[in-house]
Amino acid sequence: MSVSVLVVDDSPMARKMLIRALPPDWDITITQAANGIEALSAYRQGGLDVIFLDLNMPDMDGYQVLEALRREDLNCLVIVVSADIQDAAQARVRSMGAIAFIKKPVDPARVKAVLMEYGLVL
Amino acid sequence: MNSSAPSAASVALLQSLVERIDVGIFAVDRAGSVALWNRFMAVHSGKSSANMLGQNLFAMFPELPRPWLEKKLESVFVLGNNAFTLWELRPYLFRFPHNRPLTGGLDAMRQNVTFLPLRTSGGEVTLVCGTIFDYTDTAMAQLGLHDAIAALNQEKDAQRQLIAKLETAQNQLLQSEKMASIGQLAAGIAHEINNPVGFVNSNLQTLKKYCEQMLKLIAAYQPAEARIDDPEILAEITAIKRALDLDFLQEDLPDLIKESEDGLFRIKKIVEDLKDFSHVDEADWQHADLNAGLDSTLNVVWNEVKYKATVDKNYGQLPAVECLAAQLNQVFMNLIVNAVQSLDESRGMGTITLSTGHQDDMVWVEVKDTGQGMSEDVQKRIFEPFFTTKPVGKGTGLGMSVSYNIVQKHHGRIELASVIGEGTRFRIWLPVKQGEPAAQ
Amino acid sequence: MSMEIINSDQRDALQEIANIGMGQAGASIAQVLGTFVELSVPQIRAVDAAEIPATLAALAGDGVASAVRQAFLGELRGEAIVIFAEHSASDLADLLSYGDALDAPASRELLLDISNVLVGACLGGIAELLRAEIGFSAPSLLADQVATSKLLQADAIAARCALLVEVRFGLEKRVFRCHLVMLMPEDAITALRLALDRFIEEL
Repeated sequence: MSVSVLVVDDSPMARKMLIRALPPDWDITITQAANGIEALSAYRQGGLDVIFLDLNMPDMDGYQVLEALRREDLNCLVIVVSADIQDAAQARVRSMGAIAFIKKPVDPARVKAVLMEYGLVL
Repeated sequence: MNSSAPSAASVALLQSLVERIDVGIFAVDRAGSVALWNRFMAVHSGKSSANMLGQNLFAMFPELPRPWLEKKLESVFVLGNNAFTLWELRPYLFRFPHNRPLTGGLDAMRQNVTFLPLRTSGGEVTLVCGTIFDYTDTAMAQLGLHDAIAALNQEKDAQRQLIAKLETAQNQLLQSEKMASIGQLAAGIAHEINNPVGFVNSNLQTLKKYCEQMLKLIAAYQPAEARIDDPEILAEITAIKRALDLDFLQEDLPDLIKESEDGLFRIKKIVEDLKDFSHVDEADWQHADLNAGLDSTLNVVWNEVKYKATVDKNYGQLPAVECLAAQLNQVFMNLIVNAVQSLDESRGMGTITLSTGHQDDMVWVEVKDTGQGMSEDVQKRIFEPFFTTKPVGKGTGLGMSVSYNIVQKHHGRIELASVIGEGTRFRIWLPVKQGEPAAQ
Repeated sequence: MSMEIINSDQRDALQEIANIGMGQAGASIAQVLGTFVELSVPQIRAVDAAEIPATLAALAGDGVASAVRQAFLGELRGEAIVIFAEHSASDLADLLSYGDALDAPASRELLLDISNVLVGACLGGIAELLRAEIGFSAPSLLADQVATSKLLQADAIAARCALLVEVRFGLEKRVFRCHLVMLMPEDAITALRLALDRFIEEL
């Protein structure tokens, strides 16, 4: 059965870069969102398994999305993908419920390692 | 290029280059241990490469700004980017003697330093290399330029002030030229008014005489009225007398003539004062009555004075003084106007006292006010050109210096006594006779 | 501005690349300062030379600011300007426990150092992503505590127009604020466009 993935980033280029870095043999359906508000409404429709979430976005940023998801009993895996690679940012998103942090520019090997760790790919 | 190992010859060439280049090159590892120390460093520091290699940089140079430099090196190790120091902000890293031991200059070599990350193997930065460039000559040239620019700016400021003063002086000249032509105009008008005033006055005297005679005649007719039998004539006379109000007319007529005489007298006085003040026809040295000059000046400025001060006069007997009367009147006017302006209107009417006197060969004229007085600083500067305590636009600051010059020209002097809050007294001393040769 | 300096794909790519460069710069100064750095979303726009001073003034806001410039050379060419809000230097000195020893040269040197770290990391990151070889000049002080409207004089700008990439850094609970502006002259933008096209193609 196909995994439902949401990619959230204000930059279409960044979404494209991430999607290219996902394992090619991973059976998924991809939804995209350009900001936090779109991401939340996609989540509320249900059925999402994995969210790749950017942090710095206009309007509603990644931290606010994490906060909202936590209030709504986060029942999917959130992987933060960010250019903000400060240790403090990584620690903060983990404390807010993200399972992993992937630095931009996205390294396909790193993505695969994270997905394997959670048994999402073999 | 990087893939193939460099030949022994090219390594030797590079080594020789690093050694001989006229730039300080040194390298330290993360613990601060020296890994490279080229000839430039050895020559200037007096510490040879053999002595330095393997030693801790900070132990060998305790005068280095250690916490700052450690932080700087650490940032290059961690971030892997170049870092810089500039002589303008940090004159030097190592205190090396300057490059002009004989011709003098700066206390120490000025240095620009670049710190470079060196990755000997893999991606990790293992050494930081410092390259030291001698900027002493540039620094000296620049300091010279700074001094020159500062001097130029100072001159520019002085010129700017001078230009401002010139502008004020020019305005003052325009103003005084205007005043001079107004004075001439006034004198011309005074002259023109003099003629009609003369014949009006003479006619008025005749008119006065005729009136007296007519009134005398009417008085003589008065008792004859009772003898008139013709009732028609009598009725007409009575009607006219009632209409004329003859009693009042007889009473009022001499008053009207008297008032007209007074008015004419005042016109004559003003005309005389204007002529006296401007002295258009007396531009040369003359013998003048300064008491009269003071009075005519006071009349000219009376409008400025009358609502602000009462004037006390205390004139002594004065001999005729050899002077340029019009110019002295200008001095009196300045003193009187300044006295009025020093009065504090919130304290009601002030008093201005004009006194004169003489002593041996000198006469004096004094203008005293009950105004605000002047500080010692103001007293010292009051005769300086352009010095003014009035708000901008209210005074040119030339009045007192012009007065000073006029008195100087008369070989006299001005004394000044002032107490803050009590008032100011100016006393002008003038010789009765000018020495030989008479000024101008 | 009517002229299209870069197309929308190129702009989109540059925006994301600048974002990554900014992240690296932020992490670098976070490491140097030992504190969390707040980042903005990078802004990209083309401006006429005459508008550059006013644009910088608008970025910096009212009041007084200092600015450091640093040239970048090589395949990508231009100037990076870091504009520091007033009191940034003393705030940094406080953070780095300089104590009272912050005289005017030391405070300028601090701004130069921070600029160097930011520019090196940010532009270095951008160049790396674009696989362009670049080097940097030493930083120099462009303006020291001047009105933001006077940071840069229009007649001092040789280019006709420029591409302006702006990122903003701030520190939590601190007054320190700075903007990193990357200005590239019109003629250097051709090389940038080529590099961006290559980047997009290789995705």
